[in-house]
Amino acid sequence: MLRYLAYRVALMVPLLLGTALLIFLAGHYAPGDPVQVLLADHYTPSAAAHLRHELGLDRPLAAQFAAYVAHAARFDFGVSYINPDRRVADIVRQTLPISLRLAALAVAAAAVCGIALGVCAAVFRRSLADRLIQLGVLAGLSVPSFVVAAGLVLLFALRWRLLPVAGWGHPADYALPVAALAAAPVAYITRISRASVRQVLTEDYVRTARSKGLPAGGILARHVMRNAALPIVTTIGLAFGYAITGAFVVEVIFNIPGMARVAVDAILQRDYSVIQTAVLVYTAICTLVNLAVDLSYAALNPRIRY
Amino acid sequence: MSVYRGFTALMVAAALLGALAGGWGPSPAAGQAAGVFRTPLGGEPPTIDPYFATDFSSGDLTLLMYNTLVGFDGAGRLVPEAAKSWDVSPNGLVYTFHLRDNVYFHSGRKVTAADWKWSFERMGDPAVKTEVGDVVVGGVAGYDAQQSGGGGLAGIKVVDPLTLQIVLNPNSRGGFLNRLAYYAAVVLDRDVVERGGKSWFAAHDAGSGPFTMREWAHNDHVSMARDPRYFLGAPKISGVEMPVVTQAQTRLSEYQAGQLDLVAVPLADFQRIKSDAVMGKELLVFPRAQIIWLGPNPRVYEPFKDARVRRAFALAIDKAKIARTVFFGFYQPAASIVPPGIPGFYSGYKGLPYNPAQAKKLLDEAGMTGKLPPLTMAINPIAGDYQMAAEATAAMLKENLGVDVRLQRAEFASFQQGMNRRTVFASFMTGWAADYLDYSDYLDLLLYSKSPLDRVSYANPEFDRLVDQANAAATDAARTALYHKAEALAVEEGAMIPMVFTQFALLKKPYVQGLQTTGALSGYLKFNTVSIQK
Repeated sequence: MLRYLAYRVALMVPLLLGTALLIFLAGHYAPGDPVQVLLADHYTPSAAAHLRHELGLDRPLAAQFAAYVAHAARFDFGVSYINPDRRVADIVRQTLPISLRLAALAVAAAAVCGIALGVCAAVFRRSLADRLIQLGVLAGLSVPSFVVAAGLVLLFALRWRLLPVAGWGHPADYALPVAALAAAPVAYITRISRASVRQVLTEDYVRTARSKGLPAGGILARHVMRNAALPIVTTIGLAFGYAITGAFVVEVIFNIPGMARVAVDAILQRDYSVIQTAVLVYTAICTLVNLAVDLSYAALNPRIRY
Repeated sequence: MSVYRGFTALMVAAALLGALAGGWGPSPAAGQAAGVFRTPLGGEPPTIDPYFATDFSSGDLTLLMYNTLVGFDGAGRLVPEAAKSWDVSPNGLVYTFHLRDNVYFHSGRKVTAADWKWSFERMGDPAVKTEVGDVVVGGVAGYDAQQSGGGGLAGIKVVDPLTLQIVLNPNSRGGFLNRLAYYAAVVLDRDVVERGGKSWFAAHDAGSGPFTMREWAHNDHVSMARDPRYFLGAPKISGVEMPVVTQAQTRLSEYQAGQLDLVAVPLADFQRIKSDAVMGKELLVFPRAQIIWLGPNPRVYEPFKDARVRRAFALAIDKAKIARTVFFGFYQPAASIVPPGIPGFYSGYKGLPYNPAQAKKLLDEAGMTGKLPPLTMAINPIAGDYQMAAEATAAMLKENLGVDVRLQRAEFASFQQGMNRRTVFASFMTGWAADYLDYSDYLDLLLYSKSPLDRVSYANPEFDRLVDQANAAATDAARTALYHKAEALAVEEGAMIPMVFTQFALLKKPYVQGLQTTGALSGYLKFNTVSIQK
């Protein structure tokens, strides 16, 4: 297990280096000159040459990339081109926890609701409840998160005045964005849970347990869920990735000061240093989530060894 | 294996707890604390250093936290602010300001004439490279020497702690007092600025205005508390909450839900709100001192070197139709350059009427019929208005003059730089809103040949001569008459093509009383007169 963990962590290095190279080259070859952006109205050829030298932008591309990687490894991502008084690392430090919290809450809500609905649908297969749940799943998969968000705002904030339209910090602020972000993952987790539980319910050992007269709840909790868990956990892991990227829409709509909204603003303003860092950070997060999911397999099923 | 399982479970639990922990503080927009006035910022302010505050968010904060020597009231008249009165020498070049003796910085220190001198010298300091130095102190004696490394500003003298004298160059631009009412022409607390280093404004403000900064949570909100010692009387509200809300629709929804007390109305929602039974009564509509204009650049697009071609372009654009159909009649067609709301507005001037036949004739005379090369029109991306005006204009130019117009979108910084370089865009659609309510803020800045903002490279000696004469005029009436002549010359030569004058549409909750509006900036004056009466 430890060897596998070390192997996977080591594998992250070339992955992140490759990502860094891609975004570095994209930043280099994309239209717009960071020196022009930084100098704005104070641009003169001599001031530009001076700043270019100061930032190391007059060095060979390979040397620039090596310096970029060396700094990034120390969590030094330079300054924002739009707000040169702010360091990008500080922006990440302030905004990333908000995005992670939003994603974690959405996944937690989606996991609880999705598993409950999936198990219910599997146990009461072809019942009215099952059909209603399947209909909900279809809606959850079909309707994009920004439409869900708009509907939630219209009903809960503007019509019934139960929750705030936007903002972040007060517990009430969390409800609508978490619901909007969790809608699709709930559908995915429900569908996978239903299928997985349904399949395990048809296994011989479940039939044996039933024939022995064990209570249905006990069978479900002790035998069925444990064996149905692997695909569900995988889906929850994927849901976290979805929630992290889905935050790009939800944070903008609900005006949440997380890293996704900052990244969207940076894209609109061509703030390359922030964009590059956001891509790198999100790549690292998605990789770590995948690793956590893989490790959880072994935790859930003793037969799986690495 | 059980150890690994336990470890993994622990990791997952820790990650979830870490993600969920913290940040449960009160949301600024969620509920209204007693007497707190709530209005949004459209974006994260890049700075709160007033001398760099050129965007709306930074400008809104500067307005509330700092003070100028003179200000203007809701009617656009100059009124005393930190200076209780002033004398002007007969030749109009020496201004003596008598300062109030009850103006205090938020640190508690009294503001003196020496603070003003230090502040204005910092504003002009070439090493600091401020954004407003040329606008405010550009005409002060000694400014040129300061730019060459000569240290302070010789033209600013401390007569005594409460008397400040400013001497102007004989050839300085007019409207000096109006430029002192520019929201950025403020006094700074030297101790705070020098102690705080380069980013001194991040934690404290160095102001003496009605409100002091309490918290600046980046990308989230700025909250301000009232200064009970404010020299014009303690504000009636306890503070101001300004959440950063980047989306106009979200701002409007927050207002509808009662999370905000004052917002601007997006143009697309104006008709709906106007006819809404509740919000229609909360709507404030008034002229904005802003023009949307088309800049023809003769340096890039060769045909524009001929004034007849520029004039033909102006005649081929039906501004009345654009105002009526594109902007729902909410904006007014612009005949002149300087908008209503600026004292001396040229109200009787007709400008260049829509006349495609005359436009074609002028092109014929210039020998350009059927020979106009495709034209690129860059669009200011900061508001949808410019894109809408540009699309309609492009269609009219194609229909009436047969010229192919390609629209070009750029991010704001690139757009600004492209305009300032003067060799990038063949033409551009943009706007100009008043920083201070004076004719010079338009003609002198945008078209005078020596102005750094003459982005259309208009270099007409006759125009410059009229502006010079206006600046040296003995009376306001004479000054206005000369400015009108200069304005008509620029319009008729198509130096810049005025499109529409815009308006403000604000929504204000009925329980908010005493809000003073203005055609400049974001549409409101300082909130020291505002009260909340629920």
